[in-house]
Order: sequence, then C-alpha cells, then structure tokens
Amino acid sequence: MSAIARTNVMDLTAPAIEITDLNKYYGTFHALRSINLTVSKGEKVVVCGPSGSGKSTMIRCINQLEEHDSGAIRVFGTQLDDNLGSIDEIRREVGMVFQQFNLFPHMTVLENCTLAPMLVRKISRAEAEATAMRYLEKVRIPDQAQKFPGQLSGGQQQRVAIARALCMQPEILLFDEPTSALDPEMIAEVLDVMVTLAQEGMTMVCVTHEMGFARKVADRVIFMDKGEIIEEAPPEEFFGQPKSDRTRLFLSQVLGH
Amino acid sequence: MTASSLPGGQSARLRRLRRDYFGSPLAVLMTLLSAAVIAWIGWFLLDWGVIRATFGADGTQETCVAHGGACWSVIAVRWRVILFGIYPYEEQWRSALACVVVGVVILLSCLPRMWSFGRLALVWVLGTVIFYTLMRGGVLGLVPVNEQQWGGLPLTLFIFVATGIIGMPLAIGLALLRRSEYPVIARVTGWIIDTIRSLPLLSILFTCAIVLPFMLPGFLIGEKLYRVLFGAALFFAAYQAEIIRGGFQGIPKGQEEAAKALGLTYWHRTFRIVLPQAFRLALPATINQFVIAFMETSLIVVVGFMELLAAGNTAFKTGEWKFAYAEVYVFIAAIYFAFVFGLSRYGAYLEARMNVGHRKD
Ligand SMILES: Nc1ncnc2c1ncn2[C@@H]1O[C@H](COP(=O)(O)OP(=O)(O)OP(=O)(O)O)[C@@H](O)[C@H]1O
Ligand SMILES: [Mg+2]
Repeated sequence: MSAIARTNVMDLTAPAIEITDLNKYYGTFHALRSINLTVSKGEKVVVCGPSGSGKSTMIRCINQLEEHDSGAIRVFGTQLDDNLGSIDEIRREVGMVFQQFNLFPHMTVLENCTLAPMLVRKISRAEAEATAMRYLEKVRIPDQAQKFPGQLSGGQQQRVAIARALCMQPEILLFDEPTSALDPEMIAEVLDVMVTLAQEGMTMVCVTHEMGFARKVADRVIFMDKGEIIEEAPPEEFFGQPKSDRTRLFLSQVLGH
Repeated sequence: MTASSLPGGQSARLRRLRRDYFGSPLAVLMTLLSAAVIAWIGWFLLDWGVIRATFGADGTQETCVAHGGACWSVIAVRWRVILFGIYPYEEQWRSALACVVVGVVILLSCLPRMWSFGRLALVWVLGTVIFYTLMRGGVLGLVPVNEQQWGGLPLTLFIFVATGIIGMPLAIGLALLRRSEYPVIARVTGWIIDTIRSLPLLSILFTCAIVLPFMLPGFLIGEKLYRVLFGAALFFAAYQAEIIRGGFQGIPKGQEEAAKALGLTYWHRTFRIVLPQAFRLALPATINQFVIAFMETSLIVVVGFMELLAAGNTAFKTGEWKFAYAEVYVFIAAIYFAFVFGLSRYGAYLEARMNVGHRKD
C-alpha cells in the first residue's frame, strides 16, 4: 500500500502479541493475575467476562495506557520495558478504539485522522489526507470529513475513531467495548466495519459482549474473571461446550435475554 | 408592509415587550421609574458634556465657569502630558509611534491565523525591538531617553503587553509542571503558585523595585522597569496557571489516552490536544484575567512610574487646571473603557468561533 517508512525494529515473523506471566496491582488490589496470552499475526481474539474482571486493564497494558507490575509483554518481538523508545515503537504499531470514542473535539474529522500520521509517521499533509479519505471511505463516511465530532452521531463518531486508528496503518487493533456506548440502532454499522477489517486480515483483540460478532469472526474467545483468564477456546467450542462453571454462568447471563 | 409580510414578527416582539415591562402595576411603575432615572442621567451628561461644555485650547477657567459645563479645554491643552507623561516634549512623536507599534502587536496576536509559535515569536520579538528602540533611543540618531522618563499611554500599554507576553508562557509552564507525573515537581510548583497568589501585587512590585537590588548580584539588577515587569508577569502567571489548571480538569481523561494510543509524544499531546481544549474551557476566565491585568497597570505608580493614570493626575496639578480634574478622569476612563470593552468583545468573538462545531458537550 502506501509508502510509510517502518522503523523495522518490529519482527513481523514473531507473534503479534506475547504476554507472559503478567501481573498488575492497583494499590493492594490484584487486578491481573499471571496472564498468559499469545496472539499470532492476523488472528482475531475476543475477550469477554463480567464487569471488573480486568479486560480493559489487560488490553490497556498492551499499549501501556496502564503500567504492569511484573511479567513481559512483547509486540512483534519488541519487549515493552522501561525504555521509553519501546513504548513509542509499540504504540505506532498498535491502534486502539475506545468505548467513548475519544475523538478530539476541537479538530475536524479529517484533522483527527491526519494528526498522528503527520506528527508521528512524519508523512506530508497531502499524503496523510489521501490516506485519511481512503479509510473514511472504508468506514463509509467520507462526506463527513469536514465536520466536527460533535456534529456526528455516536455510530459515526465510532467509525471515525476506527478510521483514525487505521490511518496510522497499525499492525494490530485493540477494541475496548467499541459498541457499549452506542444506541442499539448504531451498533450494527460499527460491527459491520469491524467484520470487514477482520476479513481483511487485521490482527484484532476485541473486548466486547457482542457474542454474534465473536461467533462470526473470532479465532479464539477468551473468558476472564477476577483478573484471571479462565477459559480460552475457538468460538464453536466456547459457546458449545464451555468447560468452566463460571463461563457457563456468564454465558447464560449474556445470552439469556 | 414589512410587518405584515413577517407574520407575527413585530407584533410578537411588541407583545413580549408589553408582557415583560408592563405586565403588572408594579412592573409599570418600575419601568417608568427606571426610564426617568436613565433619561435624567442621560440629559445631565449631554447637558454637562456637550451643550454647556467648553471646547478648544483657548478656554480658560473663567470661560468654562461662565458656560457652566465640562471644560474640555484641559484636554485640548494638556493631552500630551496625559498621554506621554514626562517624556521629552520634542521626542513625543516617538512615544506616539511606540503606541502604534504596541497596538499592532496586540492586533496581530489576536488573529487566530497568527497562532503558531514561530509567528507569535516573530511578532513579539520584532515589536519589542522596535518599541524599545523608539522609546529608549540612543541609536539611529535618536536622543536617548531613560526608562524613568517613560510615561503615559505607551508605558501602560507596554506593561500590559509585556505582562501578557512574559506571563502567559510562564503560566503555561507552571500549569504543566503542576500536573507533572513526578509528585515532587507537582507539589513544589503548587507551593510556588500558592505563595505568589497569597501575596498582594503591591508587595511584589515593591519587592522587585526596591528590595531585589539589595539581594541580587550587580549584573543581575537591571533597570527598575524590567524588574517590576517581571514581578507583574509572575503575579499574572500564578493566577493564569490556576485558570489553565481549571481548564485541564474539564478535559475527559480519554483525550490524552487516545493521543497516547496514537503514539503522540508528550509535547504533541500537550500542545495539540490538551492545551487547545484547556484554553477553550478557560477562555472566559482568561479574558477576565487580562482585563484585571490591564487595570492593575495603574499600580506601578507606587514604585515611581508615571503610567496613564498618574500622568493624568499631573495634567491638572498645575494651578490653572486644578478645577478640571473630572474632565481629565473622564478622558482617561474613556481610554480604559475602549481597551477593556474591546477585550471583552474579542473574548465573545473567540467563544463564538470556538463553539463552531460543538453542538454537543
Ligand atoms: N485506576 C484504577 N484504580 C483502582 N482500581 C482500578 C483502576 N482501574 C480499574 N480498577 C479496578 O480493576 C478491576 C478491573 O478493571 P477493568 O476496567 O479492567 O475491568 P473490565 O473487565 O474492563 O470491566 P468493565 O466490563 O466494567 O469495563 C476493577 O475491579 C476495577 O475496579
Ligand atoms: Mg472495561
């Protein structure tokens, strides 16, 4: 695709994400208990679990929005450590979509999409705008490019947020409950975009309770409770024959109504 | 005809007028009473300030008293003292030009398209150099004029602008340090800000003007004017830093997280994402702070500078104009009003401009 210079420190043959024995405390509260997780390139992983189980905390450790206390996180072989350069390195390759969209309200949609590529990837404005328009078309809102986020609906804002993340041309996309803040009629338009991305081979880690989405695109579903990974299995197995009681209870609650 | 083509337009307005101001006997009474007071004040001002006033440089106390109204002759005769203080008479064109320079710097700084580091720095440095050259002289064949002789409007404007230009970056720096990740830095900055804010401006000005020279090594003392300026800027910065901090607190946490997730550096996050939003939230308070700073320029008279208000005081101190102090104060008040009113209109313009596209939130 476009000629964005990679720093080439990333080893694209290594696993996309490799988390080993990860622990995280909030004060004395043990929020993540020896998490182990490997995501290979192109894989789609859906993370679910009850509220407070540590799903957000785990994926936010991957791009260091939260600092972990022990264990190792590697992204394409680059280990996250105290070396600030490694954090920058990884954030360039890992995009994130938030529950609350978090678009920059003082910038237009187009500016939201071009800011980071211009400042971080150091590409020209013309190239950044061309890339932005391509991704805005992909999420089906090129006509809103000159508007401000406050003028868009929730579903449109979340699609802009996805386009903004894509403009950095990341190798991995993290989603933290991307549809939880949306009105029901807007959920589908966002999920459609996510399905398209999945089919195109993007490496994705999604925290979501949209089980239909999990069935459709996930290679693996992960169930977390109380800071631990309780179960991990392909969707057919996960929904068909869940091994743990906690998983069964959770599934009956989520799918029950 | 237009009234009938606008269905309800004018008659609705009339109806609202009648409801709001003549809705009850008490409302009628209040409306009439207020109208009478306003009319009386208006008539008095018109009568005193225009109809029975004396204009022109040839008016004297006798002619003014004979007319019974305002004696604007004092302005016509003494305006150069009011505007330029004790700056040498033959050189006052330099003062006037310096005022224009400051005015241009203010106008340019107010234009949103000038808001980049490079452009603002260029305008400010160039403006300062031209202003200083004009006022101080000593080069290009200009007679040197000591800072102690500067006075009136250029001095007031210079202090105001310099307070802003030095104080605002200082305020941003303090506000950023105060939210530092390192608790020690944040705490110490907090103490500094709170200490400055708990001192009266007067005491800071006195300290800078009189006490500081005893404490500093000789080469650091510098001209009194600049020490005082530094004190005023520091005072401004402490208050403005708190205003900016208030702005920071209004920004959702997700904004900075999104910027981090995109890989933006600390400086890019700060100057592209956080500060613009903080300033938008803090704008009304910021304009207010500038208005206060403009008013407070008159305090520097206590450390021996003849700014606008003090220069005005000397204008009627000579025997022949002693009776005409009200006119001088009205004249000075009009100048202050023009600036402050302009400032608040500019604030309203900025708010309207920033609200474009923020239908929600
Ligand atoms: N900044 C924080 N300080 C203290 N405790 C925190 C903090 N952030 C999260 N926690 C705690 O850590 C636990 C895990 O939180 P996390 O947000 O990861 O849960 P989650 O699985 O994403 O839940 P949800 O489905 O509600 O988003 C919770 O018990 C929460 O109270
Ligand atoms: Mg969460």
